[in-house]
Amino acid sequence: MRRITSAINPASAEFKTRAARNRARVAEFREMQRAARDDRPERDIRRLEKHGKMRPRERLELLLDPGTPFLELSSLAANTEYDGESPGASIITGLGIVSGREVIIHADDSSVKGGAWYPLSVKKIVRCLDIALENHLPVIHLCDSAGGFLPMQNQVFADRYMAGRIFRNQCLLSKAGIKQLALVFGQCTAGGAYVPGLSDYNVIVRGTGAVFLGGPPLVKAATGEEVTAEELGGAEMHTSVSGTCDYPAETEEEAIAIGREIVQQWEKPKKWECQRDDPVPPHYDPQDLYGILPDDIKKGFDMREVIARIVDGSRFHEYQPDYGTTLVCGFANIWGWKVGVLGNNGVLFNDSALKGAHFIELCNQNNTPLVFLQNITGYMIGREYEREGITKDGAKMIMAMTCSHVPKFTVMCNGSFGAGNYGMCGRAFDGRFMFAWPNSQIGVMGGEQAANTLADVKAAQMKRNGEEVDDTVLEALRETTGKAYMEQLSAYYATSHLWDDGIIDPVDTRNALGMAITSALNAPLGTPGYGVLRL
Amino acid sequence: MKLKLRLNGTPHEMDIAALKPDLELRIDGRGHALRETGGTGALRHARIDGEDITYHQARSGNRAFLHLGGRTWIVEFVDPRDAAREKVQGSGDIRAPMPGVVVSVEKQPGDPVTAGDTILTIESMKLQTNLTAERDGVLAEILKSEGDVFEKGAIVARLQEEEDGDA
Repeated sequence: MRRITSAINPASAEFKTRAARNRARVAEFREMQRAARDDRPERDIRRLEKHGKMRPRERLELLLDPGTPFLELSSLAANTEYDGESPGASIITGLGIVSGREVIIHADDSSVKGGAWYPLSVKKIVRCLDIALENHLPVIHLCDSAGGFLPMQNQVFADRYMAGRIFRNQCLLSKAGIKQLALVFGQCTAGGAYVPGLSDYNVIVRGTGAVFLGGPPLVKAATGEEVTAEELGGAEMHTSVSGTCDYPAETEEEAIAIGREIVQQWEKPKKWECQRDDPVPPHYDPQDLYGILPDDIKKGFDMREVIARIVDGSRFHEYQPDYGTTLVCGFANIWGWKVGVLGNNGVLFNDSALKGAHFIELCNQNNTPLVFLQNITGYMIGREYEREGITKDGAKMIMAMTCSHVPKFTVMCNGSFGAGNYGMCGRAFDGRFMFAWPNSQIGVMGGEQAANTLADVKAAQMKRNGEEVDDTVLEALRETTGKAYMEQLSAYYATSHLWDDGIIDPVDTRNALGMAITSALNAPLGTPGYGVLRL
Repeated sequence: MKLKLRLNGTPHEMDIAALKPDLELRIDGRGHALRETGGTGALRHARIDGEDITYHQARSGNRAFLHLGGRTWIVEFVDPRDAAREKVQGSGDIRAPMPGVVVSVEKQPGDPVTAGDTILTIESMKLQTNLTAERDGVLAEILKSEGDVFEKGAIVARLQEEEDGDA
């Protein structure tokens, strides 16, 4: 494969302006991430200390193999919700290595509000277990949660994708032979009791760990019986009387050591044999990405420049280089794994949509995973394009992408608007992993367009009601709705709501994709075939 | 597979006849036996057709620079895809790839341009696109100015006709 020839000039004024802007963006992201991870009220820290408990990230450090990478997912979940009182949605999830096995971690964060589950906490745990199911990754649960956040129980409990889904997924994981281990550090009450209860293996810490369907206050209220937490569902009782828990541990350190030994017994999964070459780093420095990404969402950039800073040796076999040029397609390697890359270089026209559909078919025929690099303002609109069948050509691309039996991965590099989000494997299309860059924006249309559309609707409404159309009212509306809309376009809003698996520094994209692809190969390929392609 | 290479600018053809025990190359039809016998960094030793030689080597992209017997030799591997690309001749007409509006005009008539230079920036579908020259030349005219709207395929600027013969 040939090396991409970069046309970027790091000495240019444009490069420097963009680099300064994007480095500031990444610094802001890093600071938000640090705060979400580390800043906790003094009161909560003292409470953990009083109970002799470690902070959740201290537990992770002991659990994970030393010197191995941990890819944290959705580190800024819930950052725009609950007045900021649930950093990371009070849950830590991520891909890591324990006793030489690739696992996914679900850890309750008891350093904030006793680890209570908010609606987005539940969504994050369900997503974590969906990832485990889709990629056949063993799960380690670090249980230390007060249970569902009662004032919001209407949003955590009853619906299809609420808390019940956690336990449903646990059952399906076990059925599929995908192992789960629960380490019980705190009280697992009510539904929470089923996390260790439905895990194949569990360990409970004496004194602080407890598992019960109803805690002491609920028991007293229901039956008048007075009982301590330790008597009701402590380590002693569950490991010697009920058999609900397997191994007692005197300390959290011991529980983690036992847990690591359990994982050591697990069979190592056979990976699906994806074509692989020796990995080599990109020829071009990924740091250049800061100078490539524009400081204005409207400005374009050549996605080949991004590809050159993600793939092995910056080498790229471009497919149909002179056809449908607004969609760059081609083969490359990431961490040695052969992948098919689709990246946007402008609006999707008929020819680019057809090229995309055809390239996706080639990758499926060749059992090559797909990587989508999104920077898309949509499929082209207008009379001429509709007559040429832009809708049905876009439908072909969406059909081919959706029905792909190879794993798909998406990176939100800049803009993601309208149906372009769908065709390029948006969240709804079951990509195995999706990462977003801090500068990225996502919405049904751009901010300006939305504000103007809303103002037009309002003006029409005024006319219908026989009122005089007041321009100052329209301008105010444009401003307020525009501002609210812009906030919702932000990558931080999207990641807050788990529309992706987390914001990453663009420089880390290669490693994030490398880990994601490696993990995804634990699961066999899906069933080949497509639906009816509208020709 | 025959490889094409240029030695100090002169084209040669080379193919590999055998890899073991010695590398056997056929260059322009003549066979040569070659074995690397050691070396560190840029300094290399080799035996070619029974004769021991020592040389220095550096590489850059598809070119190798050899220093041997007081002379420098530049060996360039010719990628057939490069040769094919060079033949493509760009048009002098700059056409709009889609309907849109002109955001800015970067060049004036009479300006010399090289292939890839931005002539105008347009906006369509919330995205700015640079319209660039397909070949080197001199800008003859710009048919649209800032704020103008245009249809798909409209010619927005034109380069002067290329001069034949003595140019």
